Amino acid sequence: MANIEMTDSGLLIVTLYGELDNHEANGIRTQLSSAIFSGQVRAVIWDLKNLGFMDSSGIGLILGRMRDLAPFGGETFILNPSVTMEKIFSFSGLEKNVRHCTVEDVMREMGGVLYEK
Amino acid sequence: MKNEMTLSFVAIEENEALARMAMTCFITPLDPTIEEISEFKTIVSEAVTNAIIHGYNCDGKSLVTLHATMDDEKVMMTVRDEGAGIQNIEQAMEPMYTTLPHMERSGMGFTIMESFSDHLSVQSTIGSGTVVKFEKRFSPVTETSRMG
Ligand SMILES: Nc1ncnc2c1ncn2[C@@H]1O[C@H](COP(=O)(O)OP(=O)(O)O)[C@@H](O)[C@H]1O
Ligand SMILES: [Mg+2]
Repeated sequence: MANIEMTDSGLLIVTLYGELDNHEANGIRTQLSSAIFSGQVRAVIWDLKNLGFMDSSGIGLILGRMRDLAPFGGETFILNPSVTMEKIFSFSGLEKNVRHCTVEDVMREMGGVLYEK
Repeated sequence: MKNEMTLSFVAIEENEALARMAMTCFITPLDPTIEEISEFKTIVSEAVTNAIIHGYNCDGKSLVTLHATMDDEKVMMTVRDEGAGIQNIEQAMEPMYTTLPHMERSGMGFTIMESFSDHLSVQSTIGSGTVVKFEKRFSPVTETSRMG
């Protein structure tokens, strides 16, 4: 399950819950790609704090969105993965995108305010 | 504790979660750590997803079969499909190698399975299917970990 929010300054915040496998990733992908192509996304912030499980399908999903963002020079932040998930990110060369901090910390760094919903 | 199980299900994506859940219950008597559980679940998820999507192209009728045995410190498991088979196993096991890039497969499945298991072997024949066999050891249950 994913909760997707967009800030006025072009930060796409994806909060993931439950278990991210191949089946889940296929559902989330469609939602996300349209969000990325419809706006000027400067960065995607993936918050994994509440994610209970992830396999290599999560890598495919994140790398795919990095590819969508590349033409606009967008950045990718992966926040708060579990120990096991962090190993999976390292195998895949994504350790440089991993941070242990809050979404607000990244937003402060990037500038921007969260839209009221 | 010694135990043994077999589980078969049709090739639909929804059964990825079923397989993880069943196998997590199976290893509970070993009193695994959170990290051991999540590594074990990841191996199961990778192998089962491969059988469903690569072996059977999600046909909704062919069966994936899991078999597992357990003793006091390790689980031995096989994930079997009678589907497409793998042309070149060595190449398939290379990091980032995938035959389904348009479906956003990352090609990291075998790399993860190898890293999180203690022994992993793959047997495959084009047209008759694939068997992934692995073993995972669990830290022995001690009085402190029981009380933990
Ligand atoms: N059970 C299987 N049946 C047929 N082909 C398989 C099977 N498992 C893996 N493969 C092949 O091996 C490749 C690599 O698998 P893997 O490392 O899990 O990456 P991915 O699933 O992301 O493609 C797959 O793209 C596929 O071609
Ligand atoms: Mg795979």
